[in-house]
Amino acid sequence: MLTFLRKRIISSAVPLVVVVFGVFLLARLTGDPTNLYLPVSATAEQRAEFAAANGFDQPIHVQLWDYLGQVLRFDFGVSLRTGQPAGDMVLAAFPATLQLAAVTMLIAIVGAVLLGSLAAYRPNSPADRSASFLSMTAASIPDFWFAIMGVLILGVGLEWLPTSGVDGGIEVWILPIATLLIRPFGVLVQVVRGAMVAALAAPYVKVARSKGASEPRVVFGHALRNASVPALTVAGDLTIGLVNGAVVVETIFGWPGIGKLMIDSILQRDFAVLQTAVLLTAVTIFVLNILIDVCYALLDNRVRQTVPA
Amino acid sequence: MLVACAATTACTVANSDSTGDAGEAGDSLRIVLDQEPPTLEPCEASLTSTGVVTRSNISEPLIERDPTTGELEPLLATAWEQVSDTEWRMDVRDDVSFHDGAAFTAEDAAFSIDRAVNNSALACNVDGYVFGDQELGLEVVDDTTFTITTETPDPILPLRLSFIEVVPRTTSTEAKVREPVGTGPYAVAAWDTGVSITLHRHEDYWGEAPSFSRVRYVWRTESSVRAAMIATDEADLATGLNPEDATPENSLPYPNNETTALRLDGREAPLDDIRVRRAIDLAIDRHGIVDALFDGQALPAAQLVPEGVVGHNADLTVGEADPDTARALVEEAAADGVPVDREITLIARNGQFPKVAETAEALQYQLSQVGLSVRIQMADTAAHLEYQLRPFPEDVGPVALLIMHGNQAGDAGFTTSQYLLSDGPQSTFGTPELDERIAEADQAADDDRQDAFAGVFAEQNESLAQYAYLAHMQGLLGISPRVSYEPNSATGDELRLADVRPER
Repeated sequence: MLTFLRKRIISSAVPLVVVVFGVFLLARLTGDPTNLYLPVSATAEQRAEFAAANGFDQPIHVQLWDYLGQVLRFDFGVSLRTGQPAGDMVLAAFPATLQLAAVTMLIAIVGAVLLGSLAAYRPNSPADRSASFLSMTAASIPDFWFAIMGVLILGVGLEWLPTSGVDGGIEVWILPIATLLIRPFGVLVQVVRGAMVAALAAPYVKVARSKGASEPRVVFGHALRNASVPALTVAGDLTIGLVNGAVVVETIFGWPGIGKLMIDSILQRDFAVLQTAVLLTAVTIFVLNILIDVCYALLDNRVRQTVPA
Repeated sequence: MLVACAATTACTVANSDSTGDAGEAGDSLRIVLDQEPPTLEPCEASLTSTGVVTRSNISEPLIERDPTTGELEPLLATAWEQVSDTEWRMDVRDDVSFHDGAAFTAEDAAFSIDRAVNNSALACNVDGYVFGDQELGLEVVDDTTFTITTETPDPILPLRLSFIEVVPRTTSTEAKVREPVGTGPYAVAAWDTGVSITLHRHEDYWGEAPSFSRVRYVWRTESSVRAAMIATDEADLATGLNPEDATPENSLPYPNNETTALRLDGREAPLDDIRVRRAIDLAIDRHGIVDALFDGQALPAAQLVPEGVVGHNADLTVGEADPDTARALVEEAAADGVPVDREITLIARNGQFPKVAETAEALQYQLSQVGLSVRIQMADTAAHLEYQLRPFPEDVGPVALLIMHGNQAGDAGFTTSQYLLSDGPQSTFGTPELDERIAEADQAADDDRQDAFAGVFAEQNESLAQYAYLAHMQGLLGISPRVSYEPNSATGDELRLADVRPER
């Protein structure tokens, strides 16, 4: 298991490094931030001072080297836009996105397992068709449209929920989570259903039934354990997508998370904040990938033996 | 978690406070902005996103321009006098205190001007937009008097000073201040980054106490959400509603001094030929664009500044589009060897105004109807600025840049210095003759100034045609029945909280 873990860490670290380098270089290809931060009458001297103060006057490889040195000292630079330390801004925003993603994924997994199993238990039954229709619809609805409709119907029309914002009780979570939930929930129901149909038709299920095991034990004890491997893989990918997919939710509902921070940083060429946000997100995804691989290996011994060197 | 949350009410979102998102109505004013201010630094108050919160609320200027009449009125200053061509004397109030309790004196006033205008290290935006590259001499005479010396005569110095927000002499000159101390009717109570800004009433305010004891700003990018917050009584005021989200019940329209236009790069063929530039001007159906795309919430424009700005030329009127004449001009230019089939890039900025992409498409179609080839390039703010400001990108071909110019100062000098001078920061070309006329107009005062700048705008249309104007835009302010407020041309940049009162 330790060998497996070591190999997975090494192979997952490569994309992490590529992303960090890539964002640094691509950010600088988007153009000079000077015009956004200096007055229109800025003199050549002022522009040169601004460039020197932020290291933009250096060749790109020197800037990259300096940046890596800073990161190793946990110095992530200062936001051009707000003047605040980039690390503080990102660390303040990240938990809000993680909260949203974690709760959303928990609901998506539990809901998808129940609905997917119910659909798979009687293939082609009305319950199965209804579940398939619902999940396909959920996976296809544009989240932006869903969010605005939620605001108009549940916020303005029925006045059951606040339109947006983050302060309050459970009511502030419902629309953001529902918006973020629809796609992963729809996809997961489909995956769980497919895996469970195959698992429930497997010989070991027949054996379990012949030994007198109860139906819930057959479905959730025997079949689900095997069906959970593909579902877990998809759930992991969807969770990673949620961290970035939170941009729409955060933008519409005023949720103070890292997705909105990233978009604002891109638009404002706020390199320090963008790089820090991407770095933290990439590290989180890296850790998440390792956790998924470990869970995957625990569920299926063959995975540990076939991991590439 | 949601179940636990419901049972325990432990549902706090990370990175948020717990004061209630829109705040309790009661004695609070709740405002939803379209974006979070990057900073509340007073010397950045000429930036809309900062000024809308800071100006005249947290900090105050010495002199205030009435946005309706254009008249200058004393605020922290009590009087000002031009001693000579280049020297002014200012008297300031002696009964004003800052939020931190320190007394305001002439030294603070002089310090604030010096910090914003003469401090190149700080690179304040107000310096560039309002003062250009001029330096000011400042001398404090006593606690209530100081003098200002300009390098050259500046007849509108008091107007320029209306953009300088006063800060205490203890304010940093090395770095900008995110949460400033000022003399305004409100002080910063809390800035919950990403969530809200709360101001509370400055109890020792020298002027009339504002109606609300607390003001809370939140921000939502989507106009429809801002409108929804008005509808559900989550907010009392909402800035920048789109026409499709506005109704007579939830919003008030106001002229916002913004003018949209195509800036034609006269250095590149075929745009270097005035016949082609005139053809573009004639091809544009301004009335159609205003009616169909702006819901009638704008006025077709024939110059870069709207009525109410000193220098606006009332004789310049908008005619109907004339595609036949435009086509004839293009053909005439083509016959003389002008490469009229060379593709023109029409660059527009995402989110610049509602329906900006559709406007660009309409312009593309209208220009194609008169024989010109146009492709659209949508850009974000940073990319758009690269085309808008000198030094302009090289080797990008002919560019028609969709711009939106706001003249909040109320004087054409601020427009012409940027957009019409040969070497203006936002002008692609000019003529020595027009430069001279602008310089003369800049030195004029009162009626002479009005007439001189009106002549400059007529001359630009007659001899240069660098701009093909679209419309003088209108803003839409969302407002709830809970409050009363009359928006004016400055509302988009300076939403004075003291003017907001309970109940409409």
